[in-house]
Amino acid sequence: MKTNLQAFLTANRLVFTLCVFLFPAAVFSQTTISGKVTDQKNNPLAGVNIYIEGTYDGATTTETGDFSFETTTTGNQVMVVSYLAFETLNLPVVIENYQSQTIKLKASVNTLDAVYISAGTFEAGEKARVSVLKPLDIVTTAGSAGDIVGALQTLPGTQTVGESGRLFVRGGESDETQTFVDGLRVAQPYGASANNLPTRGRFSPFLFSGISFSTGGYSAEYGDALSSVLLLNTIEEPEQEQTDISLMTVGLGLGNTQKWNKSSLSVNVAYIDLSPYQAAIPQNVKWNRPFQSLSGETVYRYKFNSGMLKMYAAFDGSRFDLNQESINAPFVSRVDLKNNNFYYNASYKGKFGSNWQIISGLSYGLGDTKTKVDTDRISSTEHSSHLKLKLKKSFSDRVKVSFGGDYFITKYDEDFNKEFGSGYDSNIGAVYGEADIFFSKEFAAKAGVRISNNDLLHQTAVSPRASLAYKVSGSSQLSLAYGIFEQAPKQDYLKYNDRFENEKASHYILNYQYTADKRTLRAELYYKKYNDLVKYDTDMAMYNSNFANDGFGYAKGLDLFWRDGKSVKFLEYWLSYSYIDSKRDYRNYVSEVTPGFIAKQNISLVGKYFILDWKSQVGISHSFNTGRPYNDPNQTQFMSRKTKTYNNLSVNWAYLLTQQKILYFSISNVMGTKNIYNYEYSNTPDAEGVYSRRAITPSADRFFFVGFFWTISQDKKKNQLDNL
Amino acid sequence: MTKIFTMIALFVCSLLSAQTLYEKGMGNALTVWKSGKSAEASALFERIATVEKNNWLPNYYVAFINTVEAFKAEDKAKIPAYLDKAQKALDEAAIISPNNAEIMVVQAMIYTGWIVQDPMTNGMKYSNKAMEQYYKAQVIAPNNPRVVSCKAEFEIGGAQWTGADVKSLCKDMERAIKLYADFKPESPFHPTWGLERAQENLKSCSK
Repeated sequence: MKTNLQAFLTANRLVFTLCVFLFPAAVFSQTTISGKVTDQKNNPLAGVNIYIEGTYDGATTTETGDFSFETTTTGNQVMVVSYLAFETLNLPVVIENYQSQTIKLKASVNTLDAVYISAGTFEAGEKARVSVLKPLDIVTTAGSAGDIVGALQTLPGTQTVGESGRLFVRGGESDETQTFVDGLRVAQPYGASANNLPTRGRFSPFLFSGISFSTGGYSAEYGDALSSVLLLNTIEEPEQEQTDISLMTVGLGLGNTQKWNKSSLSVNVAYIDLSPYQAAIPQNVKWNRPFQSLSGETVYRYKFNSGMLKMYAAFDGSRFDLNQESINAPFVSRVDLKNNNFYYNASYKGKFGSNWQIISGLSYGLGDTKTKVDTDRISSTEHSSHLKLKLKKSFSDRVKVSFGGDYFITKYDEDFNKEFGSGYDSNIGAVYGEADIFFSKEFAAKAGVRISNNDLLHQTAVSPRASLAYKVSGSSQLSLAYGIFEQAPKQDYLKYNDRFENEKASHYILNYQYTADKRTLRAELYYKKYNDLVKYDTDMAMYNSNFANDGFGYAKGLDLFWRDGKSVKFLEYWLSYSYIDSKRDYRNYVSEVTPGFIAKQNISLVGKYFILDWKSQVGISHSFNTGRPYNDPNQTQFMSRKTKTYNNLSVNWAYLLTQQKILYFSISNVMGTKNIYNYEYSNTPDAEGVYSRRAITPSADRFFFVGFFWTISQDKKKNQLDNL
Repeated sequence: MTKIFTMIALFVCSLLSAQTLYEKGMGNALTVWKSGKSAEASALFERIATVEKNNWLPNYYVAFINTVEAFKAEDKAKIPAYLDKAQKALDEAAIISPNNAEIMVVQAMIYTGWIVQDPMTNGMKYSNKAMEQYYKAQVIAPNNPRVVSCKAEFEIGGAQWTGADVKSLCKDMERAIKLYADFKPESPFHPTWGLERAQENLKSCSK
């Protein structure tokens, strides 16, 4: 026993003795590594960290960019050069052969002040580098009434088309915009509506964290949209478990979010019934059954180690019944509409291999509408699916390539009094590839191509896209975008005929953007050329119309946007101005004229002011546009008259009763301006040879809204301000 | 036999010298940092982190130093670069040591940094995220002085918006100061910071 211990002690002493000899031995074989670090313009960089990977041997550069340190390593090593806001360099070196050298570092392109492609696109949300709209804006914009589309209509490039409520972008019709949730198409983004009554987007802003709205020149990843894409992304990770209760003059809402270790679930239901409201406030329209809807949305998210699965489902059932006037009918016609809509999508986004990213998913939408017009019954059903696969490879911070494919399936059936049926089945397959290249922190380019095949039209289309961005100074940049965009003719035509070609548009965009601390200025000039638009020879597109693809048109203009959150404390405001010159010869037009939904000038001013002492946020928004053209058959010239200007001033006030209870008031069109959207003329002249007319106006001049919102959550702080 | 013995000896030697290098390196880095050379200190910790792959402390300090720098930055445009660097290092630390209250405190501070950078855009989102970290940390280490004082400081900061009860938060601050007095770090290199700041906060409480 004792000997063992002695042996151990001896061994131990030996170890120490050896160490004493071995360690200094290592110290003696030191090599000096020295040099200088500069940026691309040869300016010395101070404070750069340089070291041999996996060792303590290293140094920090001095004011002159010089460094020098000693290393005990030998042979092949990796020298790491790292500096804040610059790309980290891993230099392979052979220690014995190392010669003093000057190392040039490249500025990182992943920084906020790097150039980015800005032509055409408005970003909203926290991930955006330059956020034109902030997450809260969607919902606190007066007059938007929590409608995502309503808030986007305060941006330049959009038209206020009050009788529709949909997005009309740069001279394009509303169906020239495609909507995507988590990258997957939503074929029916709007709620059902009758003639000349505005609709809303289906999505509650509550579940979305990022919105990207392109008014042209968008990526090759998206197709079958002539004018615009609206990309909505659901929240990746809810902040906390909470329950939201809403009591409104128009209905009730209930929301709940649950969080687990790796997954979370949000459910949101709303019941809207406009009867009490419309009983109290006089309406310009006779409602037999005011608008009523039950809707629900749910998102489930599961986080894997290197990816995320999201499932989104929405259901919406709505109905209304009203008497619709027409100048051409002696009696009102009764319109009774019931609409059921279901949408589901599942998407997976993950990383694999060396810097690969995969995004894949599928969506399915079912739209079912039953309309009774007096004794006629029209029912329509649309099934639409989208399958998507996208792969993205980052070769470096500077070069990224993505490619993928889409498959869209649409089946539409319509039936009139069970006598006449119309409809179509369409399958569109598409592949695309795109490259993102940063030449420097100041200069970037994106180029891609999309090839799609529509089996219904037997047509293959090749659409090239390209954009460039150049940083002019620290806070401003110029971007250019070009692209060809194709889209199958709309449902109203396809259901009667399939001997069509795609409609085409080419976009040319020049964008200037200035961003400094809380201030943004955007100016965009664009030119858009339309070809192969659908024409027909009847009053309305019908089963017996003669269709042709020989329509054409153009849109050109200037969009200005100014946002300022700096000049006045607690005040945020933005101003949008659009000038557009656009003409088209399409539909049943007799010549190339400006269509009825286009006003030459649109102005929106939105302001929000937080009054701390009142625990209140007040907001106003004013939209103005010049008159819109309409056709007066009493005139010899087609579409030669214009409506009077349009004005709408809306205000809202959110008052925090307690931290989690909010009272909310809003009034749209406070001034009660009698707006006229358009005129409907009789088909035949009266006894004096005059065509009489009827003005198309909003269903009520003002809209009042009062709501009480209550949030129940763990930290007792979160409230529904962002739901308003 | 001799060969094996020599190898064992060499191995033990390298361990011993590594240990001393670690201690020397950490001690040096902490001294450099205290002398106000934060960029250099961050660089030193970064180097230690590349060697000490199973120790969360070097990355923790890289994260903490850069977070503090973000708060001090006069040029607001630089804040994201500091916070990104801090986040990367903290992610590494959290992989080595999950469910660590000290790491959660720094995570909450990084979120606070984003709020400072752009309150209008980030305020809502990150204040919830920061609170979530403090709640988690509170469950793991209810008597950690940094958890108590940083949480209280964050809530006092937001009180003008949230209407939180500042008086009870000031009591938390008082409690934190007592906890600092009793706090025993696991090693000389474990975090001990925060007392001075807590005292300052308490002073402004009584105003």
